[in-house]
Amino acid sequence: MQSFNITLVSGPPGVGKTTWIRQQVNSAAETVVYLNLGSGNTPIDSTYLATEVAGLTVLPVEQLPDSLAQPLVGSAVYVELGFQIDPTSLILPDQMADCQRVAVLPPGTRHTEWHDWADLVVTGVEPGVALSQPHLWRSVLSGQVLDPASLNTFWYELTNGAYGTVQRAKGIFDVADGRSLYFDFVAGLAETTDLELNLPLWCNGRPDRFSGIEVVGEALNQEAIAETIKACCLNNQAIAYYQQQIKDSLELGDEVA
Amino acid sequence: MKIAVISCIHGNYEALNAVLSDIDDQNADKVYCLGDLVGYGPHPNAVVEMIRALDIPTCQGCWDEDIVEGLNACECSYPSVLAEKRGKLAHEWTNQVIHPEVREYLAQLPLSLRDDNLCFVHGSPHNQHEYLLPEVDAFVAMERVLATGADILFCGHTHVPYVRSLDASQLQIRVKLTGKSEQDMSFSAPLKRIVNAGSVGEPRHGRPNATYVIYDTNSDQILLREVEYDYQKTCAAIIEKGLPPIFAWRLARGLEFAERADDPTHVCER
Repeated sequence: MQSFNITLVSGPPGVGKTTWIRQQVNSAAETVVYLNLGSGNTPIDSTYLATEVAGLTVLPVEQLPDSLAQPLVGSAVYVELGFQIDPTSLILPDQMADCQRVAVLPPGTRHTEWHDWADLVVTGVEPGVALSQPHLWRSVLSGQVLDPASLNTFWYELTNGAYGTVQRAKGIFDVADGRSLYFDFVAGLAETTDLELNLPLWCNGRPDRFSGIEVVGEALNQEAIAETIKACCLNNQAIAYYQQQIKDSLELGDEVA
Repeated sequence: MKIAVISCIHGNYEALNAVLSDIDDQNADKVYCLGDLVGYGPHPNAVVEMIRALDIPTCQGCWDEDIVEGLNACECSYPSVLAEKRGKLAHEWTNQVIHPEVREYLAQLPLSLRDDNLCFVHGSPHNQHEYLLPEVDAFVAMERVLATGADILFCGHTHVPYVRSLDASQLQIRVKLTGKSEQDMSFSAPLKRIVNAGSVGEPRHGRPNATYVIYDTNSDQILLREVEYDYQKTCAAIIEKGLPPIFAWRLARGLEFAERADDPTHVCER
């Protein structure tokens, strides 16, 4: 049987799994492939890494069987497991039997199932909010364009507890000026990281690319979150108005979609 | 004589009561109100009835006007589509619960009040919707005060209290009359001040406490007052009466019910 250089990465939300993988990619000599199990139809980490990390190949989960059948020679594969996936209950294909198991855990964590499962335990960060019953809420926003000022207000409210206790929130949003923005928040750490993704300005109708949001917390008022996001979204007329402004102010080139 | 100036109560009856008690404690001789009695808060009728019962001279705020005339503002009223949607929800709710006699009272409020060398307006002398933010251009600020002929212009609307002295301003103007050559003129303006009373019912300074000002005409001293009150009662009433719960969350943090314009260069075109 052919062996593969595959690393499974698991851990609780907000500890820095994606950050650790990004560090490995930056120091890797070989080609690196990334997959995310558990992100479902909201591939926020995958989209973020695909646009921001040069030399990284991001594969959708459904291509995992193909990539195992025809592996890239000399490549390393990192598979990130969502926090909601119990790594000890995973049934792995034979080709992944010898993979390395890495658990990224908060400082001081001892005697957990992750310790029993992992070949290597990496110390991550300690989220400022501990949850007794973490709840995951996410929503696909592809095609929606948000008003930036409204988005900032909503994000401030979300990450300061207006809709329940939030330990972790991340999202990718298309905004009125054509940019795609990445927001990343972990309670107790520095303020939200917000980053303009390296994608073309979108100037022609509703964006045909991924955007979405994922929130981990407790007692989340999902209905209020969804309603507020909806209230941040622009209608077709407003989108057309802003896109025309962008076209008028830019020399249109390859960077405009 | 001590003059208390209050503004932007926004249907927050608990805050108004606390401020009126504090005004009593400060032995103020007169009280002026700069409007925005209604909007966002859960007790618009009770607030107006209290102001009327105490016969407090009041000028019309932008919300008072909007409840009478319907929403009609330039983009400076709402800096985001979220704020606009929330503002419209609050307007719709207030419009439904307001009593006819309260609406009539709001309709007849004057746009400005005068007391000797003092002028009282809601936003600016130009209109109730214009924000005189503390960072507004000095020329614009001076023009607004000079337009009133007063020495001190009291305003509200921004929800953040401040005192701004316009000291020894040198103004230069160019006059061009038909058939005549241009003429440059310069003159000095005497000390003028803009005093913003903050907000009784919808503070924006990061704490839920109400703010207002007291001006002592004898000592020429201006005192910014910050008054604690049971804001949780107002928060509970917001939810009980079916207003958006986010208003309560924001009020408890001194964030206003909806965020306001921050651009000091914006001149209201309404």
